[in-house]
Amino acid sequence: MEARCKPTDVSRRRFLTAALAGATLAGTAPLLAACGSTVAAAVPSGPPKRGGTLRVGVTGGGASDTLDPHIPATNPDIARVLNLYEPLLLRDHDYRLQMLVAESLKSSPDARTWTAVLRSGIRFHDGRPVTPADVVATFRRITDPKDPKSGAAGLTMLGEVVATGDRTVEFRLTSPNSGFDDLLGQYSLGIVPADFDVKRPIGTGPFKADTFTAGLQSTFVRNEHYWRPGEPYLDRLSLINFSDDDARINALLSSQVDAIDQVPVALVDVLRSDPRVQVLRSETGTWLPFTMRVDRPPFNDVRVRQALRLVVDREQMINQVLSGQGRVGNDLYAPFDPAYNRQLPQRKQNIAEAKRLLAEAGKPNLDIELVTAPIQAGAVEAAQVFQQQAKAAGVNVRIRKIDTTTFYGENYLSWDFAQDFWYTRNYLPQVASGSLPKAPYNETHWNDPEFTDLVTRASATVDPKARTGLLQKAQQIEYERGGLIVWGFVDQVDAYQSYVAGFVPDRTGISLSGYQFRQVWLGTAEGGAA
Amino acid sequence: MTRLILKRLLVSLVVLWLVTLLVFVATLLLPGDPARAILGQQATPERIAALQHALHLDEPVWQRYLSWLGGLFTGDLGTSTSTQGPVTTLLADRVSASLVLLVLAAVIATPLGLALGTWSAMRRGRASDQVVSGISLVIAALPEFVIGVALIVLFATTVFRFLPSVTLTPPGEAVWAQPSQLVLPVLTLVLVVTPYITRMMRATMNEVLDSGYVEMARLKGMRERTVLLRHALPHAVGPVAQVVAIQLAWLAGGVVVVEFLFRYPGIGQALIDAVGKRDVAVVQAVTLLIAAVYIVVNLLADVIGILADPKLRTEAVR
Repeated sequence: MEARCKPTDVSRRRFLTAALAGATLAGTAPLLAACGSTVAAAVPSGPPKRGGTLRVGVTGGGASDTLDPHIPATNPDIARVLNLYEPLLLRDHDYRLQMLVAESLKSSPDARTWTAVLRSGIRFHDGRPVTPADVVATFRRITDPKDPKSGAAGLTMLGEVVATGDRTVEFRLTSPNSGFDDLLGQYSLGIVPADFDVKRPIGTGPFKADTFTAGLQSTFVRNEHYWRPGEPYLDRLSLINFSDDDARINALLSSQVDAIDQVPVALVDVLRSDPRVQVLRSETGTWLPFTMRVDRPPFNDVRVRQALRLVVDREQMINQVLSGQGRVGNDLYAPFDPAYNRQLPQRKQNIAEAKRLLAEAGKPNLDIELVTAPIQAGAVEAAQVFQQQAKAAGVNVRIRKIDTTTFYGENYLSWDFAQDFWYTRNYLPQVASGSLPKAPYNETHWNDPEFTDLVTRASATVDPKARTGLLQKAQQIEYERGGLIVWGFVDQVDAYQSYVAGFVPDRTGISLSGYQFRQVWLGTAEGGAA
Repeated sequence: MTRLILKRLLVSLVVLWLVTLLVFVATLLLPGDPARAILGQQATPERIAALQHALHLDEPVWQRYLSWLGGLFTGDLGTSTSTQGPVTTLLADRVSASLVLLVLAAVIATPLGLALGTWSAMRRGRASDQVVSGISLVIAALPEFVIGVALIVLFATTVFRFLPSVTLTPPGEAVWAQPSQLVLPVLTLVLVVTPYITRMMRATMNEVLDSGYVEMARLKGMRERTVLLRHALPHAVGPVAQVVAIQLAWLAGGVVVVEFLFRYPGIGQALIDAVGKRDVAVVQAVTLLIAAVYIVVNLLADVIGILADPKLRTEAVR
């Protein structure tokens, strides 16, 4: 297979050290350095080549894996959905809205009616053209009251979807929403034919479904009807589920897969030292906040919330929890939103001020319980670092670690002090998901009339300047008295073999360039066998 | 003797039933419910309610237990909550894949352990005996996870790179269609099990070789080969069968860790996935299966023990 290392390259002691530390693979760095030097593959250049099979190791998934475009739950589901189906529009690598099935989407002046024009000549996998009736049927399927799909929660203001022409569809809203385009740009809103059946998974995506085994792997072939000229470059795509980090990385190192998503931050340097492997690092808007319930003591006292925010050493969080793979946060989310409030001063650790606030609140020796779970890499570590940092201010944090399923069980959204995990979103969609009294994931039970009023007005405002003004005021309120500690944004780190080309950094927080495998191509024939 | 065996069989069935009860209660104690586990962060109250109804999670506990127990007798292991299909379909390929691992490991480890143990006992005190004892002691002290990781580092990712580190069987293809994928998982299981068999065989053989009848046989001038095969080995079989049985039964459980490590698509993977998804029917089916393997293998060991032990054999006849 690959050029092998001679056994003499590696002393017995080094091997044993590596083997003993091998449970995390962390100890293998010197080995990789010792033996990889002869096998560096040339990084492909020039115009993309067509053909070949890309084998991708994807984290998570299981027996409940699905090809249903509208209920993706795990990473492999998301990867499949993004390659089989396309929504009307979607966020691109730079987190800008990009038209896919729709050619354009325009709002009426009152932001109550949105008109989408379908891309001309766009076809489903079986060659049929996409019609407005298909779009109507798609949204009927998603918002079916008997069986609402994932996207339904974000579309509560959607009144009706009407076909108004050969290529036009109208979205009529029950309340004005100037950010409706943002809400439509979700991967779980893929357009499917009116007669869609998940047994025949047909969409407009760059790949067609070939085989699918829940929990193990799925394969795809090129969609010859794809509307982007030249793409996809690959003949075949194979997505392989991995439940374990070590197995995924081992599969990459033993050349059984061509790319893997989600490299644990501790192993980034190990992979970087292997010349056969490229590491793809993306700055994202993904965040792992601490969530304080603003309606329950002691967090119903704004001084306590401010004190806990001042306790955090954000730089240390990034370095210790994320091994430096991230950027500090300022207790605000949606950093890529054009309206993100950059004028607010960066909050820094200030133990003296935190102590003063706690004393003023009558809680100088605060004792609190923090519920944590491995909901995302770094979550439990963040809780532990926070526990240490809080000690300096005389705050005793008791950590209660539970498993992920329990965390998202019946007590999810009612923990007094816990954590959560969010991908990149713009401000208004994030508020709609988590920061309004009726938002489905309002972990902090945030209910601030002034804030709600600003957000409601901003939703109805089409003028970008006026809207930005309202949104920045709303952010200032959250910055001053909100219930979230947003200590940082997490970089996405993936890895791939050097002969693979076409991966670019992606801000969405979705792995491997947002799983956009249509842009990927193989520089050599090495990935051909699968 | 037949009565003794029948009694063992009956006890085994009771144990199996107790296992079903225990597993059922244990799975109920798992916090969180399957509907939420499946939907994850995407769960909305409407979707949870719809799924709970579809999965019969709104029925009383005893009713769910009884209908499941009833299904066992007709070969119906229930419905998986996460695939919403029959558990038997879900597990069919998985069981055969795991069985391949277990049988290969057993077929290699048992004769290897017996041979090494005998060889070692015959060379008692010599350097080769000490080497075998030392190595088997070290390997026996290592958990299967460490052995597996060491093998991966050695043969797949870092030192040599000629064996696959994970199993990537294309859908619809049997795991054994690419035999190279089986090498490391089987080797791990063999390395975990063999030392125990070796050590037990060596100890038993030492005892037997010291006994009066072996001495007598040697004094009669029999060839060492005949002494070993005719006189020593049959006496060692009984006690060693017990250890071999425990080791082979252990394989059924140990396969969970090994399958996780090598991403091997067997019952271990299915069990881990099912626990995470709170897929009670699958957890129960797999646990029951592992328990059944334990019980059957132990039963066989008992039978061999009874047949091999003249004292028990004659007592049973009386």
